[in-house]
Formats: sequence, structure tokens, C-alpha cells
Amino acid sequence: MKTRSFFKKHISLLFVLGACFSCIKDTDFEQSDTLVITPIMEVNLVEVQETADSFLDASEAEVLMISDLIVLDIFSSNFINDNLIKTELVFEVTNSLNKAFQIKMDFYDPSNVLQYSFFIDIDNSLTNTPLVTNHTEVFEAMSLAALKSSTQLDISIILVSSSTGSVLTADSIGNINLTSKGIFYFELKE
Amino acid sequence: MRWLVFFGVFISLHAQNKQLLYGFTEVPQQILLNPGAQVDYRGYIGVPLLSHIHFNAGSTGFSAFDVFADDGKDFNQKIRDVVYKLDSKDFFGFNQQLDIFSVGLSVKKSYEKTFFISFGMYQESDIFSYYPKDYAILAYEGNYNNLNKRFDLGQLNVSAEVLSVFHVGVNKKINSKWTLGLRGKVYSSIAQASSTDNTGSFITVPGTNNNLNHIFDLDMKLQTSGVSFLEDPSANKGLDILKKRLLFGGNLGVGIDVGFTHQPSPEWTVDASLQDVGFINYSKDVKNYILDGYLQYDGVQSVFPQVTSGQTAQDYWDEVEDDFEELFKIDSTTTSYTKWRPIKLNSSVSYNFGRKVDKECNCLSKSDTTFQNRVGAHLFAMKRPNHLQWALSAFYYRKIVKGLQLKTSYTVDAYSFKNVGLGASAALGSVQFYVMADNLLSYQNLAKSQSVSLQLGFNYIFKNNEN
Repeated sequence: MKTRSFFKKHISLLFVLGACFSCIKDTDFEQSDTLVITPIMEVNLVEVQETADSFLDASEAEVLMISDLIVLDIFSSNFINDNLIKTELVFEVTNSLNKAFQIKMDFYDPSNVLQYSFFIDIDNSLTNTPLVTNHTEVFEAMSLAALKSSTQLDISIILVSSSTGSVLTADSIGNINLTSKGIFYFELKE
Repeated sequence: MRWLVFFGVFISLHAQNKQLLYGFTEVPQQILLNPGAQVDYRGYIGVPLLSHIHFNAGSTGFSAFDVFADDGKDFNQKIRDVVYKLDSKDFFGFNQQLDIFSVGLSVKKSYEKTFFISFGMYQESDIFSYYPKDYAILAYEGNYNNLNKRFDLGQLNVSAEVLSVFHVGVNKKINSKWTLGLRGKVYSSIAQASSTDNTGSFITVPGTNNNLNHIFDLDMKLQTSGVSFLEDPSANKGLDILKKRLLFGGNLGVGIDVGFTHQPSPEWTVDASLQDVGFINYSKDVKNYILDGYLQYDGVQSVFPQVTSGQTAQDYWDEVEDDFEELFKIDSTTTSYTKWRPIKLNSSVSYNFGRKVDKECNCLSKSDTTFQNRVGAHLFAMKRPNHLQWALSAFYYRKIVKGLQLKTSYTVDAYSFKNVGLGASAALGSVQFYVMADNLLSYQNLAKSQSVSLQLGFNYIFKNNEN
């Protein structure tokens, strides 16, 4: 009986002791140091739609090439620089002109020094049916560093003479279309 | 007049539901939960800054143990499991209260008519956020492999506030069956920020010709008041502003608590209260940020300048940049706004039994002849921006010996289905001591708990010699 009353009187104390001895165990909060988040963003890039007219000069003669320049300051941003670990540029070119081409992409840094370059060969379409060419350019390690230091993209479409191809005129049938997207792999760490 | 003076230390890590304190007549803080509670004492004084210290932190859907357990599993996989397990109805909450002062005393107008007046001031902080699942998925995966998935930007729903509350309550026992109470409150908001009224989406859909079409639809709003002092690097000035706002210098609001206790028979008790039926009008130091825009982006058109004079790809690119700048341009206003306080409901039904009877008739005996046991059910509900947060408890209250009372509860709520709590109020000599602990089953390892609670207090009781 005495023991019971002792227990009753000190039951509150037991609560407090219980609370004091409660603990957080079997945990490792430093695991958060290893947190890595790897989102992948897919973004539409450049689109080109050209007919035969685009490749003719004022006297309606074929030019050697056409080119265009885009200033890309996005790759030099801090976020991209710190967290981008891989990039794929995915192109789909549909050609129904009876003319072969070479599409050339040149990446320049702010001092106009060429950092990276690649090209896509496009066959001529003998019967003007759409010919689809897919190309994926992967940027990792050295090539990714080159991409990150680039601020300008020069796109050239170079006319290529082939044995079955024709010479373009204003009446040539067909067109050349290019669509592209970038797939950007990020790795975000603490 | 007999006074009870409470030296209370009241510490808790607790859901806002205080099911152990509610209806625990021996602890005066219960009158803040129900202004119409039964009051068995003549008065109390809470020790400034020590009479009620309360912290609460909880999350639904996961516990710290789920993520941080030292179990050799890959941490990133565990995070991934949580990111996908939770949904946008899950929430995180933090609440803290600190009593600055509190006083209660009975006022006798005549022999029959006695009012119990209580007043005081407390400071409160509240942070509440729903889990913005679509943001988490977007950050986690990106939009790749998520074609046609609509990311709901309206899931961002977060609010935070620090305020002080001055309150005066009156409690009146009308007759043997009814006790009514009313408490008036003046809120002084020190700082507030909320973004609770958002709509919008981001979706990537396949376009024609193997293109992607990115559609941004944004209608987002962040309302803030009283946070401009954060921009001021001078810490002293910030402290001065805080002190001023604590004492009614902030954005003001008013509210009431109402409550009753009804005893249709000595055995049965029904009681209920509504807390914080009120609002705050924010007009001082207001800054609102609005993000409102719509954009479809499907790439940059390259136009070769050698053959078509005029526009170049760069022009297109500049145009796209301008469009994005316009889309993400944040407008700010200083329009005042009004917010309702989060209203809370407490209600319980209980049955008293086991009256103590002395074996020998002794008219001079001072032994306690009240009921020794009480069993009942308690409901708590609280208005949150998108839902009612609720908790249902069954409880058993027992007077063990004179001066020692116990209460145990089993609670089902959004955090847990196995919440067992235990509370005790004990008088050892002149010192009254109480302790209330919630989620006892988790106490061996707090990390496994989604919410935890611990309250304890020391009370010193002064008794008149005439007793």
C-alpha cells in the first residue's frame, strides 16, 4: 500500500523523467549533405522554315550559304554554370528540296573565339518527298564547358552540290524545315 | 479573498489542439481555451513571461524518421519517396505562444452575483504551408518526361504571422447548470506575409512539327505587412519597431472567443467554445507583389538576313526575352487588406461518476465529495486556408487523491491515429505541479513522431489561513 501511494505521489515525476529521457535516436541528420536533385528541363530552341527562294540572290542565282547569329547569354548565367551537368541539343530536319545541305552550328565566346562547332549533313530529296534527318549533339565535360563559355550561336545552312541534286531556282519545289529542342540536365546539391 | 498564484512553466511542442488542457479545471490556462469553462478558484496571477510558453510543430504524411533514419538506405531515395508520397493536401504547421502576463480574479457584486474576470496579453507566431506537390515534382524532375502534365502553380499556399494579443474575458456561472463566457481580443500584427490566393499553371505540350509548346499562365499574389524593417540593417531600430508593434503599434484587429459549460445533471457536462472569431486589417507598411501573365513559347524563329532584309533571328530572340521579362515582371502595390483569424472550435461531452463517500458520517470532514472520475469525448477543429484541421479525442480524468488529478487521452487527427496523451496536476504541499504530454508512444524516439507535445508547469498556491 505504501509503495502504491509512493507511486501515486511521484507519478508526475515519472512523467518528467520520461520526457527528459525521451530522445531522438537512430537518426543521422548529416545525410542531408548528400542531397542531390536532378531535374531535367526540355525547352524549345530554334526553328527554321526556308523555301528555295531563301537560297537565291538578287539575280536568282544560288548563294553559297545563308547564316544567322543569335546572342545566347543564358549559358553564361551563374545558375547554369554551377548546376548544368549535361546538355543534349536535339534537331529534326525535314528536307523536300532536291538539294543537299550542311547545317553548321558554331558557338563563339564574347571575344568571338570559336568554342565549339558541329554540323548536320542533309541529303537532297530526289523526288521532293520529305526526308527526315535526326541529330542529337551531346555536351558533357569539355564540350559542356565550351558551351557554357559561349555567348553567340552562328547557324549556317551551306548548299552542297551532289551528283543527284539539282540547282535551285525560284521554281524549285519543296522546303527545308528545322526544329530543335534542348534537354538540360541539372544537378542541384546543397 | 483566496488567491491562487501560479508560478507556471508551460512548455510544449504541440499541435494547436490542447486536448489535455481543455477542461482540466485545476489548470487556469484552460480558461483561454473556453471562456465559459467552470472556474473553481478565486483568482490567479501568471508569472510574466513564464505562465504559458507553447511551441507546436507538425507535418502530415511523414516524420523526420522517414527521411533521417540511420538505416543505410539511400538518402536521395528516401527524399524521393516523401516527395511522391505526400499530396497537396498535406501540410506543415508551426505555432508558438508566449504569455506576457495573465491575471484572473472573481468580482463579487453581491452575495449571489459573482463574475470571474480574466485578462492578459500573449504573443503568437504562426507559420502554415500546404505541400506544393507540383512545384516539388517540377523541381525534382523538370518538365522532361512530363509532357502534357499540368503543373498547378495554385498549390503554393503559405502564410506566416507574428502578432500580440491583448484579451479581457468575463466568465459567469448563471445557475447550477450553465456557465457562460466571453473574451474580447485586440490583435496587433507585428509582421505578416501570405500567399494564399494563387492560381496558374505551367504545361509543356507537343506542338506541330515536333515542336514543344510551353504555356505559362500565372496569377500569383504575395501580401506582406510590417516586414520592411527587415531591409533595415540596424538591429536596434528593428527591435524598437517590434516593441512598439507589440503594444498596439502594429496593424490592428479585433476578435472574440465565446464558450459555455452546460451541466444538465451533475453527471453530465457538455461544453464548447469558439476562439478567434475576428480579423485584422492590414494597412500600415503594406507591400503586395503581383505576378500576372500568360505566355505561349514555342521557340525562336530563325530568319536569315542575307535574303530577307529586316528582321533577324536576334530580333526574334530579343522579342522572346522581352516576353519572358514581361511574364515574370512583378508589380507591387500598397493596397490594404483584411484577413480572418484562424477560427478554432473546441467541444466536449463528458460523464462524471464515482462520488467519494466516507464510510463513517463525519460532518466536520473536509474530504472531497465531488465525482472522482470523468470520461468523455473532445472535438477540436480549426479553419485552415483550404480545409478544416480536426482532431477527435476520447479522455478519462481521475482524481487519484486530494490534490492529484490525472487525465489521459487518445486522439485521432491528421498527424496520427495513435496519439496517446497523459496529463497530471499534483499539489505537494503548497506547490502545485502539472505535466501534460502528448504522443507518448513516440517518446522513445521523437524523430518518428509527426507532431509532439510536452507541457509542464509549477504552480504555487497561497491559501488563506481561515481555510
